[in-house]
Amino acid sequence: MEIWLDAAKGPLFRLCFAIMILGLIRIFLLDIWGAYKAYRKAGDKTMPWKLIISRGMEWLFPVKRVAHNRPFYSVISILFHIGLLLVPLFLFAHVQLWKESLGFGWITLPYQWAFWLTLSTIIFAVALFIGRLLNKSSSFISRKQDYLWPLILLIPFVTGFVCAHLSIIPQTYQTFMLIHVLSGDLIFLLIPFTKIAHCVLMPLSQVVCTIAWKFPPETDEAVCSTLNKKGAPV
Amino acid sequence: MKSSVITEEEKEKAFKSLRKPEAIDRQKLNVRYHIEDFDVNDRPRRFLEAFAAILKHSNYKMALDHFIRMSAKCSRCATTCQVYQATGDLKDIPCYRSELLLSVYRRHFTVGGLLKGRLLGSGYLTDEKLQEMADSFWNCTACRRCSLECPSGIDHGLITHLGRYILSEIGIAPRALVVSTREQLEGTTKNTSAIPVPALKDTLEFLEDDMFEEKSVHIKFPIDVENIDYVFFPAVSDFLMEAESLMGIAAVFTATGDSWTTGTGYFDGINYGLFYSDRMLERVVKKIDAETKRLKGKNILIGECGHASRSAKYFIPTYCGGKDALPVINIMEYTHKVWEEGKLKLDPNVVTEKVAYHDPCNIARQRWIIEKPRDLLKAFCKNYVEMTPNGDENICCGGGGGTVSIDEIRPYRTTVGGKLKADQIRKSGCEILVAPCANCKKQLRELVEDQGIECQVVGLHDLIYKAIIFDDSLIEKDEAKSESLPKGN
Repeated sequence: MEIWLDAAKGPLFRLCFAIMILGLIRIFLLDIWGAYKAYRKAGDKTMPWKLIISRGMEWLFPVKRVAHNRPFYSVISILFHIGLLLVPLFLFAHVQLWKESLGFGWITLPYQWAFWLTLSTIIFAVALFIGRLLNKSSSFISRKQDYLWPLILLIPFVTGFVCAHLSIIPQTYQTFMLIHVLSGDLIFLLIPFTKIAHCVLMPLSQVVCTIAWKFPPETDEAVCSTLNKKGAPV
Repeated sequence: MKSSVITEEEKEKAFKSLRKPEAIDRQKLNVRYHIEDFDVNDRPRRFLEAFAAILKHSNYKMALDHFIRMSAKCSRCATTCQVYQATGDLKDIPCYRSELLLSVYRRHFTVGGLLKGRLLGSGYLTDEKLQEMADSFWNCTACRRCSLECPSGIDHGLITHLGRYILSEIGIAPRALVVSTREQLEGTTKNTSAIPVPALKDTLEFLEDDMFEEKSVHIKFPIDVENIDYVFFPAVSDFLMEAESLMGIAAVFTATGDSWTTGTGYFDGINYGLFYSDRMLERVVKKIDAETKRLKGKNILIGECGHASRSAKYFIPTYCGGKDALPVINIMEYTHKVWEEGKLKLDPNVVTEKVAYHDPCNIARQRWIIEKPRDLLKAFCKNYVEMTPNGDENICCGGGGGTVSIDEIRPYRTTVGGKLKADQIRKSGCEILVAPCANCKKQLRELVEDQGIECQVVGLHDLIYKAIIFDDSLIEKDEAKSESLPKGN
């Protein structure tokens, strides 16, 4: 078991983490490159930066939008995201691991905070899953990955919580820890290839949408030519 | 704002008159609007060819790449879509509509989709899917309100816009829009309402006489004047249906003394290309630019029309010279400017009714003009009320995206598309609803009529015409007036 755990925490973690980082960098750069190329082609190059930033901020810090529509869902979703980011990044045990391998650490969550944040994230993930299942408009448009993601994200939180807060025999502890690390590795691996990529792409959305409405000039002739429609009536 | 779902009875009324069995049978398309005949053979292949050509020559690809990576399917958009709110039909959820096109893009234009499709032998574009797209994209009023509510920032309006464009390239587009655009671009009258120039001149002369009788002021509609400040392009239907808006605009120019003109070479601000084809959008925009340059005008002035204003404001720079393009302003911007400068005086005792302002989506959604018309109205309307939500979060009139031009779907527009707006108007209790857009005005008049709401729908300049105070030097004295009147009066 220990060999498996070491492999999951060592080379497998490094591989999955590297794939996540490189994958996210790739799609982030592809997005920026796509937007840049489109901007170069656009006939109108003015950009309403004030509007872009203001609308972008509305969702990066969605205070204004919370009570707007589906307030219960919105609050749960925001709190879920807070736990999802804070616990893995600032949990004392995680920071210690980083400190051992990198030689430096950073600020950590107090024990009580970590406890409640982990517990609330688990509860909110379940709530989001049930909410998606029961809300008729959400369930109608959902894909398999939309149901699977809250469940996959639950695994490391539940197993981590069990390992940190419950008294269990060492063998069981190691099993839970192995599942905890492996599920974490799986999440890192999947992030760049699924909708979780929004963690890096979201700040670009407003820019992308704005540039998409900036059409290149002379497209009428170009499209006509490609489709052999030159001289065709309207 | 919540709205109750329409009843079965209302639903039947909304959809019954739209079914055209012979057209549906011939074109294999279960659409709820009147469309032109087109080649029904091999449509999926032709759709994909058109899609590929458009992607090659446009900026849509990078947006689609972004959207397929981002879409979280949270369905928040459903809470703001007035069509879904009215029908309760899950297929009217904006995110579902967008997915119709995104799935085609993912399957046929991405490496992952191509590999998956080949391996599983699935995901091919079918006639049925095309039918669903055509149906869905024209159920949408293209108001883009849903894009404000998407946490991922997906612009469903952009996807609908692109979907309609691709469909139009294989002949699927509302007849009303195509026929009007054909007359505008290739017809003899060069405008969507097919008004000949002599009829235009007669109309304007008649309005001038009318205004002189009412106001004792020589208010002119200058025609084909060169080297002027503003070349005017209203929605051409205003010449037939919105005389008071035009009279108000002419009165403002008379009060300020600024130079403006209507050109007889081209005088239609309407641009249905914005609703169904970027190629047509480009052609119409270029006509406006060419006419302004022919008259050596300094500015392009667009009348009270949301889509005409947006298509000129945002696409004149695109297609006609970028930063060197002619400036485009909407008439409300002009009127507000001269009012602020003190050149325009308005009587606060003329309009006493309860007045509300409707934001046209194409003007307000991007926060372009929101406060200026309100400033003007509050300056002379004693009893001004707001409808909520408003501004960039306004509720569409229900006839957006070109659907108002399709008379065959009036019951659909006034029962489904405009239901939420009707609730909002009713709640405000307004007696006069100001809608500075030709399309909104037509839709809202039909809406209040069909929904039995006691409310008058007018343009902003209709009220300004009533309230404008002219300088004494412009007002003809009684003796001079009787001499100036045309014979027969």
